[in-house]
This record gives sequence, structure tokens and C-alpha cells, in this order.
Amino acid sequence: MVFSSKVFRAVVLALRVALGAVFVYAAWTKLRQPWELFAMSIDAYKVLPYWAVLVVARTLPWAELAIGLALMAGRWLRVSAGAASLLLLVFFGLMVRAYVKRMQIDCGCFGLGDPISVRTLARDGTLLAGYLFLTWTSFRGRRKAA
Amino acid sequence: MKLFVLVLAALLPCLAASSDADPGKSMGSPSAPIRIEIFSDFECPACKGLHEQILPSVFKDYVIPGKVYLVSREFPLPMHPYSREAASYATAAARLGKYQQVADTLFLNQVAWAANGKVWDTVANVLTPVEAKKVQLLAKDPSVLSEVQRDVDAGRAAGINQTPTMFVISGTSRFPVAGAVNYNLLRSMLDGLLK
Repeated sequence: MVFSSKVFRAVVLALRVALGAVFVYAAWTKLRQPWELFAMSIDAYKVLPYWAVLVVARTLPWAELAIGLALMAGRWLRVSAGAASLLLLVFFGLMVRAYVKRMQIDCGCFGLGDPISVRTLARDGTLLAGYLFLTWTSFRGRRKAA
Repeated sequence: MKLFVLVLAALLPCLAASSDADPGKSMGSPSAPIRIEIFSDFECPACKGLHEQILPSVFKDYVIPGKVYLVSREFPLPMHPYSREAASYATAAARLGKYQQVADTLFLNQVAWAANGKVWDTVANVLTPVEAKKVQLLAKDPSVLSEVQRDVDAGRAAGINQTPTMFVISGTSRFPVAGAVNYNLLRSMLDGLLK
């Protein structure tokens, strides 16, 4: 009953637009600067070979933009929310790994000047919870409709 | 010999460096299309890596050909007990045209002086007795101390929160590059900006 309420739908809508905007903003901060800067942020994590760093640096910001726009527009919700959750799960895991290993590197989430810290982990952890919730509601809505 | 002449040719324009950059801490032509400002801390291991592994290539490939003007700035972090002292000696040495020699030895022997605190012994090793005397006096000079503080203030104002941080400045664009740097990526970026 609670889930079908207008308030709940409004909350989900606001969350979807806000979290979509976060992805669009993340993409914008990367696309407005030379791609090599984002590549350096990825390289600093030391998890990918050089060729993969190049591929990810050139493609990920565009993927973030597409996912963010899809979320804001409410299109392909299961795919876009699922992809956002998956991406953030990977980012968050890498950030936790870097933090535990005391790697003093930039998060690379929203451009430069954002070193990994408890604050960035809390921020991305909260965002991850939001995307997971959105993914859950998108699948739940489909199941209910069916 | 040829390399020496090239290095000399690259260093000479520093005499005409812009007023906001210490000429003694700058390399290359101030009219180069790209300006790189490096905020570093002599006690920081990543700064050592940048200084010893990346900057020689930047110097050879971009500074000597007149494509990049390299400016060094001090950003001693509070967590490093001897880095401000090292920055003061290096800045003092810059007044005698000995910045690079002092910076080289400070980074080369970083592990030792960071452990035993013998910063001055490390610096004095690359100076003549006359230079050493001058540097020791200059390091306490208010103008040198305020120059170090000016760099720190400029870095804070620019939002620096880790070292090394480079600012790659091309025209009106200013791109921060923080932490360890992959030279292949830096080269690709510089070449892209030079196109």
C-alpha cells in the first residue's frame, strides 16, 4: 500500500532525476577536460593494464552520460538503473581497496582534486544505496505490472 | 656538449621569467605555449617519483624545444616535519641559481634526511662553502620564508589537497594533474594541447 502511494512515486521520481543528474555531472566533469586526465586517475588505481585504461578513459564518460540521461528521462529504467548500480558497485569496491591499501590517489569520480577519504567513501556509499534502491524499484514495478 | 648548450639555451630565458614565478625555480621559455606549475613537497615519495622519473623526460621532450615552461612551487605538507625546512633551503638556493642541484639531492636522499632530520647536511653536500654560507643565511631571510608561504597560499587557493599537483596551463585552460603521473598519458595530453 505504501509503495503504491503518490508520495512514494514522487520520492522515486525525485531520486531518479537526482541520481541521473549525478551521472550526467560526473560525465561532464570528465568530458570537459582532456581524456588523458581521467586516464591518469584510472591508472593510479593500478588495477587495469595500460590498453584497458585507455579504453575505459575514452568510453566510460560517454556511458555515464547515456545512463544519466536515461535515468533522468525514465527510459530503459531496469537497464539504466542496473548499469548505474553495477558501475558504482565497481567504483566503490575499487575506492575501498585503494583506501585500505592507503593509496593516496584521487577518486576520479567528479574530475580531479577529490582524494579518496572517509568522506568520499561515505558519499559514494550513499549514492550506491540510492542506485540499488532505484534498481530494486524498477524491477519491482515491472514485476507488479506483470 | 650539445645537450649542455641546449640546456643552457632553455635556461637562459628564465632570466626574463614572469613576475609571479621565481626565475630561479623555472625552466624554459616563459613564452612557451604551455606552462606547467608543479606544487611539491620534498618529503613526499610521489613527488620524488615525479621529479626523478617524469620531469627529466618533460624537460628533454618539451622544455628544451621551447614547448613548455616549467615552474616549481613549494607545498610542504604539515604532516612532514622537515619539508618546510627543505623548501626554505631550496628557495634560498634558487637565489644563487642552485635550485635544481638542491632539489635533486633532496629528492635523491629523501629517505635518509626524512628519517634523521639532517636536511642541511644533505643540502650542503652540493654547495661550495661560500654558497652554503649564503644559503644558510638566506634560508632565514623573511623574503625567502614569505616566498615559500606565498606558494603554499597559492596552492591552497587553487584547492590543492595532495602533492604533487601540477597545473597544466594552455591559453585560458588550466588542468590540474594530481598524484603520480603516467608519462605516456602526460605526453599524449601535452601533444594534444600543442596541436
